[in-house]
Amino acid sequence: MLTLETLKEYGADVNTGLSRCANNEALYLRLVRIAAMDLSTDALGKALREGDFKTAFEVAHKLKGGLSNLALTPVAEPIGKLTDLLRAQTPVDYSELYARISEQAKALTALL
Amino acid sequence: MSEQKTFRISEEKRRILLVEDDFINQQMLLESLGGVYDVVMTETGEDALEIIRNQHETLSMVLLDLNLPGIQGTEVLSRIKGNPVYAHLPVIVMTSDSEAEVECLTLGAIDFIPKPYPASKVILARILRTVELSEDRETLRLTERDQLTGLYNKDFFYRYASQLDLYHKDTPTDAIVLDINHFHTINDRYGKAKGNEILKLIAEQALAFVSKNGGMVCRCEADTFMFYCPHFTDYKRLLDCMSVSLDDRESGDSRIRLRMGVYAEADRTIDIEQRFDRAKMAADTVRGNLTNPIGFFDDSMRDAENRAEQLIDDFPAAIREKQFRVYFQPKFNVTKDVPFLCSAEALIRWNHPELGMISPGLFIPLFEKNGLIQALDRYVWSETAAQIRKWKDRLHVSVPVSVNVSRVDLDVPELTGHLKSIMESNQLDMEDIMLEITESAYTDKQDQIVATVKELRKMGFRIEMDDFGTGYSSLSMLLSMPIDALKLDIQFIRHAFKENKDTRLLEIMFLLAKSFQVPTIAEGVETEEQFRVLKSMGCDVIQGYYFSKPLPPEEFEKFFTKH
Repeated sequence: MLTLETLKEYGADVNTGLSRCANNEALYLRLVRIAAMDLSTDALGKALREGDFKTAFEVAHKLKGGLSNLALTPVAEPIGKLTDLLRAQTPVDYSELYARISEQAKALTALL
Repeated sequence: MSEQKTFRISEEKRRILLVEDDFINQQMLLESLGGVYDVVMTETGEDALEIIRNQHETLSMVLLDLNLPGIQGTEVLSRIKGNPVYAHLPVIVMTSDSEAEVECLTLGAIDFIPKPYPASKVILARILRTVELSEDRETLRLTERDQLTGLYNKDFFYRYASQLDLYHKDTPTDAIVLDINHFHTINDRYGKAKGNEILKLIAEQALAFVSKNGGMVCRCEADTFMFYCPHFTDYKRLLDCMSVSLDDRESGDSRIRLRMGVYAEADRTIDIEQRFDRAKMAADTVRGNLTNPIGFFDDSMRDAENRAEQLIDDFPAAIREKQFRVYFQPKFNVTKDVPFLCSAEALIRWNHPELGMISPGLFIPLFEKNGLIQALDRYVWSETAAQIRKWKDRLHVSVPVSVNVSRVDLDVPELTGHLKSIMESNQLDMEDIMLEITESAYTDKQDQIVATVKELRKMGFRIEMDDFGTGYSSLSMLLSMPIDALKLDIQFIRHAFKENKDTRLLEIMFLLAKSFQVPTIAEGVETEEQFRVLKSMGCDVIQGYYFSKPLPPEEFEKFFTKH
C-alpha cells in the first residue's frame, strides 16, 4: 500500500515532494501513484540498446520531470544523471545506470 | 459577494496561462496556483500562441515550460516578445537546464522557475511579485507617456531629465523647445484627425532624432515638443528633421511651420523646468518669424528674466510702501479754436528704491502676464480717487481722470462693487473717473465683457475704448459696444507720421468714429504737425507730449490751475 511512510522507506524525499504540492498529501500520493503506474523503462532500454541516443534523451528527460518534482529520489536521481550524460552526448556505457533505473522503478511500482 | 462588490479590479482574479505538457507538473502547479489565480492551461506552444492572440488583454502572465511537443518554449517566447501587441505580457520560463535560463532572460523572459520546482509557496510568491511588477510597469508606461504620440509627458520628462543630469554631471546639455506655428489653424482647416497625424509624424521624427543623436524628447502641450540633448550646434538640422508636410509634397506651402527655442549649454544649477522656460522664452522671440525660426536664450534674456523676477518679488513691498506713484497726463479738447484741458489719464510710475524710476513698459506687460496687474489697477484707482478728493477739498475744482481697467479685472465679479466702494468712500461723482478698457479685452468672452461694461455704464461711469484698432473688433460688434469714446492706438499715430507720411488709415478711423457718433481721442501726439493734422481730421481730444508729459500730482495741480 502506497503511503507517505512506505515512500519514505523507499527513499523518497517526501517533505520536499509535499511542499511542491502545497502540502496536499492526497494529491501527492495520487500523483506518485500515477507516476509509478506510468513508469515504463522499456522504451528507454530499447533506445539505449539500439544506440538511439536522441530518443533515449527524450524519454529520459520526460521521465525525469515528474519523478524529480515528486522527489522520488532513488529513481529520479539516476534518470537525472542519465539525462545529463545524454544531453552532453557523453560516450559512455549506459548499461549500469540503466540497470539501476530499472531496479528502482520496479521497487517503486512494488509499493502500489 | 455581490456583483457590485466584486466589480473592482483589485478583487479580480488574475489569469495565468500555463504551458506545460507533463501531467504531474500540471497538477502540482494547478494545486499551487489555482486558489489564487485563474489558470488557463495548454500543452503545446501552438495552442499557447493561439490563446495569447485571442486573450492577451485578460492574461496577466504566461508560465512557460521550455520542453514542449511541437514548437519549443524558446520559440514561443521569442514570438510573444516579437509582437508589439503582447510583448508586454510577462513570461516566466520553467526549465531544468540552467544553460537555457540566460538565453530566456535575454529573449525577454521576466524570470525563471527551476525544475525540480521549489516549494509551492516560493512559486506563488515569485508569480505574485511578477504580476504586481508588471502591472506597475504597465501603469507607469501608460502614465509616463502621452497617449497620442507615445512620447514622454512633461512630468516624467522632467523627472528623467533630472536623473540624466545626475549620471552625466559634466556633459553640457541643451534645452530645446519646438512649437508649431498656428497649430490650431491646422485643426480648424483640416480637422483634428489630420492635426493628430501631424503630431504623430513629428513625434516619430523626434524619436528618430534622439535615438540617433542621444537625448530625450517629450510632448508637453498640444503642439509643443521639448528636447533634452547633449550639446550640439547644428540646430537647423533638428528643425529640418522635424519639418513635416501636410501632404506628400516635400516642399512648398504644405510644410508645417515650426519655431524653435534653444537654451544651449543650459545652466545646470537651475531647475530643469526653468531651463525649459528659458528655451520657451527663446522660442517666443521668433514667433511668426518665418525667415529665422530659431531663437536662442542669451544673456540679455537672462538679465530680463532676473529683472522680472526681482520686480515680482518686490511688488508687495512696492504697494505697501507706496513706491508706485500715479502721474497725470493732461488731455485737451481740440474741437474749439483754442484747445482746453478737459481731462487726464492716470499713469503709473514705479520709483524703485534700488533701481530708480522704472518704465511702465517694463513692468506692466509682466504684471499683465502674471495677474499682479489686478492689484496694481486697484492701487491706481484708489490713489487716483483719493487725489481727486484732495483737489476737490483743497482747490474746490477737479478734472475728470481716466484709469485703466485691465482684461483680468473684468473677470472678477466684485469689480463693480469695488469701484462703487472707492467712489463712495472718496465721495466722488461718477463723472470724476472714467474707465479705459482696451479693445482686445472685448474679443474674448465677448458677451460677458459687454454685459459687465454695460453695468459699469449704468452705474454712471464713462467708458473709453483704449488702443482702438488693435483688437480686430468687427464693425457690427462696434455698434453694440457700450462706449463713450474711442482712443486710437498709439501705433496708428506713429505709423501715420513716419517718414513717408500716410494718414489714410487715420482718416478712415475718424470717419468710422464719426459715423458711430463717438468722440475720438488721440494719444502719443508730440508735434505741432501731428496736432494740426489730427485736429483737421476731426479728432476731439488729444493727449501727448505736445501738450504735456505725464505729471506728478503736485505739478499737474499747477498745470490745471493755469489752464
